[in-house]
This record gives sequence, structure tokens and C-alpha cells, in this order.
Amino acid sequence: MLKDDKERLLSETVFTEVLQAFLQKEIPFRFKAAGQSMSPFIKDGDQLTVSSLSNKSPRFGDVVVCIHPESKKLIIHRLIGKKSSSYMIKGDNTYGKYDLIPGKNILGKVSKVERNGRRVFFGAGFERILIAFLNRSDFHLRILLPTWQRLRPYIKRSES
Amino acid sequence: MPVEISLDTICLPSSDIVAREIEGEIIIVPVVSGIGDMEDELFSLNETGKTIWDKLDGKKKLGDVVIELKKEFNDPGGEIEKDVIGLVSELLKRKILVEIRC
Repeated sequence: MLKDDKERLLSETVFTEVLQAFLQKEIPFRFKAAGQSMSPFIKDGDQLTVSSLSNKSPRFGDVVVCIHPESKKLIIHRLIGKKSSSYMIKGDNTYGKYDLIPGKNILGKVSKVERNGRRVFFGAGFERILIAFLNRSDFHLRILLPTWQRLRPYIKRSES
Repeated sequence: MPVEISLDTICLPSSDIVAREIEGEIIIVPVVSGIGDMEDELFSLNETGKTIWDKLDGKKKLGDVVIELKKEFNDPGGEIEKDVIGLVSELLKRKILVEIRC
């Protein structure tokens, strides 16, 4: 009758329901990120802690967890604006199109990111506003990241 | 440590778990230090377990739960009492249920 059933969390339906159950009770939930759409702030395998919005509206630049209204998939992207009653969300590492998500589909927001056991910066303070602006225009992907990638070997060489 | 219970025992779900009905089963995830973690345990209760679970409201004695279940289901072999006691013992052992002491 009672089964130790950890494998069940691998099912997206079960995982989403469990996450919703925790957030509705305002209890944070910790899990592993999958995918690269929020890189470099959130990388595949990072441990994320997601918290409830506590009946508040999400803020511009927050990294939110939501259910896509069409695909019904769980996504974790940055909030980059509002259009009528829906929120515009987009991955920090995705070009072009944003998704429009109704407020009721936003389950919570990422409150902590850990990589190799250490807490990492993911742009959740005031800087989230700048990151969201850059994300919206794709400026960071078109200019900042390519520039950084070109400069990085020289910076590393000069550091050593 | 074995958990001793009787038909006079009253139980209810612990506040240190989150339980949700998903696809006809009860999924139970423990809350450890105020947080749920995908790396921790997850339990599921099948349909029989769910029927018993739904009656554990912190008010009814296990004896009353057994009587209610006997009214709802045929029990020629007297399995219901064994099932209730067995499941509740297991849930108490795992701290998924807590015992109410009067």
C-alpha cells in the first residue's frame, strides 16, 4: 500500500503537482535545473530553490517558475515585461521570442541557486532590472557574451 | 523502534509532510528543515492506502475507521483491520502520521 517511490518525481506531471503543492503551502522546494536556457546564471544541474510569491505579483527581472499555457511544460525563465494581463518571460540564453504567461500559471520564483554546493549569483537583486532589459533586447547575447568570450582568454592569461 | 498502536489510536497527517492526490494516488513528500527536496524521499499510497488515508482526520479512532470501511467494502476474511493497523504502523514509523494523545 505504501511505496518508497522516488522515481515518480521523474514524471513531469508528478513533479509539477508536487512543486505546486509545496508552493501553495508556502514551503520552498529544491530541485535540479535541467537545460541551458538560463545560462550563464543558471546552468544544467544547478540546485534551485523555488519559493512561493506569497500572493504578490512577480517583479520585473524575477526568475519565475511557470507552466506554459500551451505545452503545459514547466519552465524557468526571466520576467521581462507585462502585456495586458499576461507576463512576458524569456530565457537569459534564448534569442528572439518571449512567451506570454497568464499570472495564474506562475507558480513561484527562484530564490536560491547552488552549484557544486556553493551559492551562486543569478541576478535576483536590483541588477535583475538591467538583466531583464538586456534580455528583452537580446543585447547581452548579441554584444556582451560574444565580446566576453573573445576577451576571456586574454583576461585569464593576464590573471595568471 | 516498533510502533505500538491499537484500535483506540487516533492519528492525523504530520505537519512535516506535503501530500497531494495525483493520478488517483496519494503522493507524500517529507518537509525537512522547512524545505522540500527532490533528493529526499517520496512515498505513494495506492488506492487502498488512499481510502484509509482519507479517513485519518485526527478525530476518528482506528476502530471507527475499520467500522466505516467494513460498511463500505466486503470483508469476509477480516483483512480490513489488518490493513489499517499495518498501514498506520508504517506511516507512524516513517513520521508521516502523528498520533493524537487524548
